[in-house]
Amino acid sequence: MVYTEEYLKEKLTKELEAVHVEVVDESDGCGGKFVALIVSDKFQGKPLLARHRLVNSVLQEELKTIHAFTQKTLTVDQWKAQN
Amino acid sequence: MSVTNIDTVDNFVNFVRSPSLTVVHFSADWADQCGQVTDILKELSKLPEVQSSGSKFGVCDAENLSEISLKYKVDSVPTVILFKNGTQIDRIDGADAAQISSKVRTHSGAKNNLDVSPKQSLEERLKALINKHNVMVFMKGNRDAPRCGFSRTLIQILNGTGVQYETFDILTDEEVRQGLKTYSDWPTYPQLYVKGELVGGLDIIKELQASGDLESTLNP
Repeated sequence: MVYTEEYLKEKLTKELEAVHVEVVDESDGCGGKFVALIVSDKFQGKPLLARHRLVNSVLQEELKTIHAFTQKTLTVDQWKAQN
Repeated sequence: MSVTNIDTVDNFVNFVRSPSLTVVHFSADWADQCGQVTDILKELSKLPEVQSSGSKFGVCDAENLSEISLKYKVDSVPTVILFKNGTQIDRIDGADAAQISSKVRTHSGAKNNLDVSPKQSLEERLKALINKHNVMVFMKGNRDAPRCGFSRTLIQILNGTGVQYETFDILTDEEVRQGLKTYSDWPTYPQLYVKGELVGGLDIIKELQASGDLESTLNP
């Protein structure tokens, strides 16, 4: 199945109660490639690996066919600090 | 388990009578090469698979036990003869380390340690691979020829830290490629492990680098 940015953005927002999500489709000859920024307080208190695992579990089905997925996971505070 | 000194004909006869493999080194003090063979046999005798097979190792002075040397046509040293049940089953004339090693292994029934026992489960294999080095990278290709942009970038970052690491090319082994994803519950490659634990993929390494935590993570 071919996924769209909207689809992934919606799913991530809903499942992770995200305050802000950006998804960019960088698919190329290799296959589906997406870059995502997810801001959610569900990441609070979790080390990097745990955060990424959380996102991975939300997108478990999709990741079976997506070739590459880059994610940046921030809590609301971290995101505010960045901006 | 070490090498027994055989100094009389009677001792010799008793020694080689064993139903398990006995390895006798015919030696001489004045021959340098015998020192080499002595070392080889010492190392072999320490191998777990050789020990568990009950194989025994002995050394005798070829000139002192000239009767025996004559009997078994030992006309130069070092010579290593393998016995079972008092009968000669194989021999190596001269200090040929490769032959000595492989014949001892074969006759003691020990598996060549390059064989992967079919009974070894995939899980054990993965565990062994993950722990092969303090810092292990499972990637597409290898450090000199990465076969994917993410793998290439990860290697670049690691090279920049100067930390020692080893890589495994998942493109060469489909079983490991799929198995590791399940084992670690991580869907993509490259994967970086430090001391047997998954640190993550390229994203995480980049974030660690940005926050200045990369070196301490690689060198806990």
